[in-house]
Amino acid sequence: MNSLKFATIQEIQSLIDTKQVTQEQVLDFSLDRFAQIDPSIKSALQVFDKQSILEKSSGKGMLAGIPGIIKDNINQEGRIASCASKVLENYTATYDATVITRLKEQGALLVGRANMDEFAMGSSTETSAFCKTANPWDTSRVPGGSSGGSAAAVAAGLVPWALGSDTGGSVRQPAGFCNLVGLKPTYGSVSRYGLIAYASSLDQIGVFSKTVYDSALVYSVIAGRDEKDSSTLDLEPRDYTKDLTGKFPEGLTIGIVENAMNATELDPQVKTVVDQAIADLQSAGVKIKRIQLPALDYAAATYFIVSRAEAASNLARFDGVRYGYRSPDIANLEEMYTKTRHDGFGREVRVRMMVGNYVLSSGHSGKYYNNAKNVQRLIRNEFNEAFADVDLLMMPTQACPAFKFGAYDDNKLQMDLQDYFTAAVNLAGVPGISIPCGFSQDGMPIGFQLIGPHLSESRLFQVGHAYQQMTDWHTKNPNL
Amino acid sequence: MDKITKDEALKIASFTKLTIAADEIDSIVAQLQDVLAYAARVEDIAKDLDIPTTKNINRQRPDIIVPFDSKKILDQAPDAQDNYFVVPKIL
Repeated sequence: MNSLKFATIQEIQSLIDTKQVTQEQVLDFSLDRFAQIDPSIKSALQVFDKQSILEKSSGKGMLAGIPGIIKDNINQEGRIASCASKVLENYTATYDATVITRLKEQGALLVGRANMDEFAMGSSTETSAFCKTANPWDTSRVPGGSSGGSAAAVAAGLVPWALGSDTGGSVRQPAGFCNLVGLKPTYGSVSRYGLIAYASSLDQIGVFSKTVYDSALVYSVIAGRDEKDSSTLDLEPRDYTKDLTGKFPEGLTIGIVENAMNATELDPQVKTVVDQAIADLQSAGVKIKRIQLPALDYAAATYFIVSRAEAASNLARFDGVRYGYRSPDIANLEEMYTKTRHDGFGREVRVRMMVGNYVLSSGHSGKYYNNAKNVQRLIRNEFNEAFADVDLLMMPTQACPAFKFGAYDDNKLQMDLQDYFTAAVNLAGVPGISIPCGFSQDGMPIGFQLIGPHLSESRLFQVGHAYQQMTDWHTKNPNL
Repeated sequence: MDKITKDEALKIASFTKLTIAADEIDSIVAQLQDVLAYAARVEDIAKDLDIPTTKNINRQRPDIIVPFDSKKILDQAPDAQDNYFVVPKIL
């Protein structure tokens, strides 16, 4: 079964089609890898039993027999959905998220629940109430976050794809840290029905994979209009892999976001590697234009305000009444609320809710929330203006290579600023894809992101796939 | 920049339906202060902006009641009786 080790979806499908392996052998291989390797990585909060995995899949379709893991903030009926929080530790989903329904219909095998930062709040997966996930490239380092469990499972070769969610960078940044492709789709192109909300106007379910082809394939399954999510766009189902010619579109112009490349937040090693990727694209005939997005420098601040405000509202529902944790030994209703929420939520979640209520409170909302919504419109306008000039934008995904556990324990703001290069994409609602493009001096992966106008996923896949045809960064795996 | 005091932090905690333990108040105040000080930079750029809001269109669907098994829902509750969620006495 060595051919299955670190195999992509496309490779596994070819092995199944040519009858070299069966669907069941693929699943056995994945479950064995989890048993052998995950005790040292801790990507999964739970791996399900083989029988129940097979029973929940249609067994046929675009992802027939292909195992994947789901971030633990997406509801899978009959399975726990904990958001890596004590508050939902024993919460069992009573319905499938729309993405889960579609994946099962198309034959995917959903093998488990991936670890994450609690309620998707963090950039390292260290805020999980249950365990810390290690980066498969160096287990003394974080896998990024908040979808760190999903990223680590794919990077360690336990599954070929995973779902995460991206509110300010939570798919793209861990993809960059783990040498993976990470897709944050256009807001509204993938249903959020069944995704437990962090910041509803920014949240979008995204895909981890080793190749752009696989990303396009999983996106083809999950994207499209959903009656159950009124924010979904009129998007008909289609197979995005059909657009992948392996060539760059004729006359393609990519805009390099100069102020991002020169930001003080950017580690020089990341800059060097991304600069090389730009040079490679240029020598492949892509037209490169240098542009400025001045409002980018305000994106993290805007994101802090908008996301915390929405989180404060969304997480008010966890009150110990209808589901989840309730603190024992409570004297009255008020104490039930406050003790349940204090004991049930981790510190990062509590602080973010407090920041949210502060920026929404009378006397402060004008200065913070209203200004942030104005800057969000400015960011959207700057993106739109840029796309009048260039087809796609390019900039680093990550501020630095994956860092050591505890690196930001004494400086939470620096941890928050991990979102510096990614959050603007969520604020503008446009799609972004992170693609592996090299390594730091000590062997940690680095990625760049391509950003396109609304619903330009097909273009992003075409360009990303063409880049992967001329580079081999995505074929490199950790020594596991 | 507004300075967050301990009293103010406790007030925010109270309307967030949270408590703050004595041994964490100083570090939480510091963290709130750091994030809000950074976030306040939006004011610098926003004060000269006048960008009209875009119109969002609400997607509507027929309001059809889909039957569900209330037992499945109530099974998730920390405390339930008959067809109700049970909470501590209010009065």
